Amino acid sequence: MFDRDIWQEIYHSISNNKLRTFLTGFSVGWGIFILVLLLASVKGMQNGFTLQFSDDATNSIFVRTGTTSLAYGGFEAGRRIQMTNDDIEYIKRSFPNDVEYISPRVYQNTSARYKSETGSYNIQAVYPDHQAIEKTIVNKGRFINTNDLLNASKVAVIGRKVEEDLFKNEDAIGKFVEFNGLPFRVIGVFTDDGDDNAERNIYAPTSTYQKMYGQTNHIDQIALTYNPNYDLTEALAFSDRLENVFRRRFKIAPKDQSGIRIFNYAEVFEDISNFTGGLDIAVIIVGLLILLSGIVGIGNIMVFIIKERTKEIGVRKALGAEPWSIIKLVLFESVFITALSGFIGLGIATGLLAIVGPNIKTGAFANPSVSMSIVVTATIILIVAGVLAGLIPAMKAARVKPIVALSDK
Amino acid sequence: MIQIKDLHKSYKMGKNSLHVLKGINFNVEEGELVAIMGSSGSGKSTLLNILGMLDSSDSGEYILDNVPIKDLNETKAARYRNKFLGFVFQSFNLINYKSAAENVALPLYYQKVPRKERQEKALKYLEQVGLKEWAGHLPSELSGGQKQRVAIARALAAEPKVLLADEPTGALDSKTSYEVMDLIQKINDAGNTILIVTHEPDIADMCKRIVHLKDGVIIEDKKIEQVRAEQYV
Repeated sequence: MFDRDIWQEIYHSISNNKLRTFLTGFSVGWGIFILVLLLASVKGMQNGFTLQFSDDATNSIFVRTGTTSLAYGGFEAGRRIQMTNDDIEYIKRSFPNDVEYISPRVYQNTSARYKSETGSYNIQAVYPDHQAIEKTIVNKGRFINTNDLLNASKVAVIGRKVEEDLFKNEDAIGKFVEFNGLPFRVIGVFTDDGDDNAERNIYAPTSTYQKMYGQTNHIDQIALTYNPNYDLTEALAFSDRLENVFRRRFKIAPKDQSGIRIFNYAEVFEDISNFTGGLDIAVIIVGLLILLSGIVGIGNIMVFIIKERTKEIGVRKALGAEPWSIIKLVLFESVFITALSGFIGLGIATGLLAIVGPNIKTGAFANPSVSMSIVVTATIILIVAGVLAGLIPAMKAARVKPIVALSDK
Repeated sequence: MIQIKDLHKSYKMGKNSLHVLKGINFNVEEGELVAIMGSSGSGKSTLLNILGMLDSSDSGEYILDNVPIKDLNETKAARYRNKFLGFVFQSFNLINYKSAAENVALPLYYQKVPRKERQEKALKYLEQVGLKEWAGHLPSELSGGQKQRVAIARALAAEPKVLLADEPTGALDSKTSYEVMDLIQKINDAGNTILIVTHEPDIADMCKRIVHLKDGVIIEDKKIEQVRAEQYV
């Protein structure tokens, strides 16, 4: 079937109709080109989302409490739920295998002063674990450690922007800065890939703030990361368990949304993967439709070619060509043109992505690329497309009556 | 070689039916050179189409080399054409992107003759028509007479039982026509059966037998003294 003569026929046919072949192939090449770029763009969006959220540990959960909105367990609605250090210990005890890192957050606004420079900042009083949860990058000095926590040391880790604002060109490490009039020693400066605002934060040990403000053990929020080996389902199951335990512990009605809020990044990821999955399907449909117009184009031109070559086909038949050999000729030519031009489109698209892709990194869009499976799928689609495009013209060709060879038009 | 009995053929033209062949009876022996003559509309082209298995008859019998030709599907017709018949057309009908040798080899390709053998045979037949040195040329580089000679070589290549020529000199000037007829006569001399459809009396005179068609019936069928084309070349 794949004898040399078929290829010679195809070669002749193509080389004698270069423009026609080019125009025919272009539509399919273009279709594949766009399909690949679209799929790569979705991949780019996926990458972008992941990158955006990977600033925070992607396996993190945040627990916040508020005021109950429903009466429950003998309590009236409107009760304020206050978490304490004990809750941290309670979680650690209850979920030893689930929790990776855990830290409370105590929020405090402060006006900071160093020499003549002042500014207003947010302080988060946290545990050493917090560095791992927020993926805080300390590029000078160190983060809060266990000793700081035990001693309730007046130390602070300040954001890069804070250092810039207060210390100007000085090195902040070891210097004392006043927070609401109390001196804190700067032990570290951190940066954050996420955004500049995060670099206006200040971290201090939880114990320090709890002692300074009323000897309480109150905390505003719990941030934790769960076992990184958990998949989406396990992660969601864990946050459900955590929520149930807390609702029981604080006697919050199961449907009360304002008493406690547990935010799990996994939920966001679930949403995103649902979204990009849907987008993938939409893109494949759009891409296939574009490709379809290419196929129709090829079919159209093949029909025209058959019309143009009616006489030649008639002569071949008069010389003894069986219908199948004519079908074969048209089909092979169609598949060959489709596949070749498709591969060129595919090659250009993947080449373009390989060169440009890694350099694209803006907001929610990063490194658009195609996977091997897309390439393989596209190849199969192309060959099927070629057969489809050639089928009708081939049958039309097979029906050409050899008698046309005799008519002199 | 060819036996035709009471052949009828009519074409439907809308509501009207056009009776083209109204009972043709004739036989052709092996080695004959027959001219089929007639004005346009006489049915000579239809007869040739049926002889060439390009069209089917409505009724009647057609036996070619002891094989009854009837109820052919396309594939079978193609095989029979390939095996039994060689065609020479008025407008040569060479495939314009194939060289002379490739054109000659085409029927052999459909006979599934191996490539090498095909090329050898093609050259042999090109040599027979005196165009061996033109083997690599495209039809567009050949003159009309040369093209028809290539077409004749192509028709011969399949080694058919009968050669059917439809106005083989219709597109040629008289000098070239005689050259082509000279070639046809020589092929006939070698024992090949040839049928020529023509409306030119001087071409018909170069055959050995003239069959005259008019309004779908044979009005005259006579053997003649062949005029050799050689003397005009």
